[in-house]
Amino acid sequence: METLIKRIIIDVKKGDQEAFAELVELYKDKVYQISYRMVGNVHEAQDIAQESFLRAYVNIDTYDVNRKFSTWLFRIVTNLSIDRLRKKKPDFYLEQHIEGTEGLTLSSQIAATEELPEDQVITHELQHWIQEEILNLPLKYRSAIILKYIEDLSLKEISEILDIPVATVKTRIHRGREALRKKLSSK
Amino acid sequence: MKCDKEIVSLMHKYLDEEITEQERKILKKHLSYCEACNKHMSELKKSIAFVQSSSHIEAPENLTELVMSQLPEQKRSVNWKR
Repeated sequence: METLIKRIIIDVKKGDQEAFAELVELYKDKVYQISYRMVGNVHEAQDIAQESFLRAYVNIDTYDVNRKFSTWLFRIVTNLSIDRLRKKKPDFYLEQHIEGTEGLTLSSQIAATEELPEDQVITHELQHWIQEEILNLPLKYRSAIILKYIEDLSLKEISEILDIPVATVKTRIHRGREALRKKLSSK
Repeated sequence: MKCDKEIVSLMHKYLDEEITEQERKILKKHLSYCEACNKHMSELKKSIAFVQSSSHIEAPENLTELVMSQLPEQKRSVNWKR
């Protein structure tokens, strides 16, 4: 996989746009998943995902092919998500939770599995609840928890993406877990 | 009863899979008699399982097209130079 990516990137660096389309195809779900989990809104998430790829394209010359491409790309999307959230008014989060249509749009984008209608309702509610609790986490913990438990990345990779020492990643994950625990056990 | 911070720290080490054999024994022994810590541990595990049960989300189908349509013209011209 890494060799394939490397080859594609070399083509992109040469100015091959078709090669860049291949890269987007390969990474779009992961990039979108990070932005969606970070901001919790499909429109914002799509916007951030697009912007991330555009930035990656424009800055591809600064990317070192000997490093892992996903780390570089995930750093862009994480930073853009954080920037976007910081610019928001605090009540943005509240609106998210009240808005009834949000979950609908989300469910339509979740890969459909063979389930009975009743199970679908339960899954839908559970998914909505999970996203809500993720959004309740302070930004610092949220990014670390998403990268660790949703993207399944190693502590070292997370430290490179967030540009913080591994020890700090650990602390954030520990605190994130404790924050989730407190929320969940109080329900 | 409030237990030593050390025990909670061991729980996190355990969850990060960075616990040593000796620490694992200490934790296990403590959990065998301390109900509060036992509960704490199981709640932490549940929290992780909770986040991990989030569905895999797919990007909108037209995302690639959208991105491609927005690429700056500048680089496009490089193609015909080759």
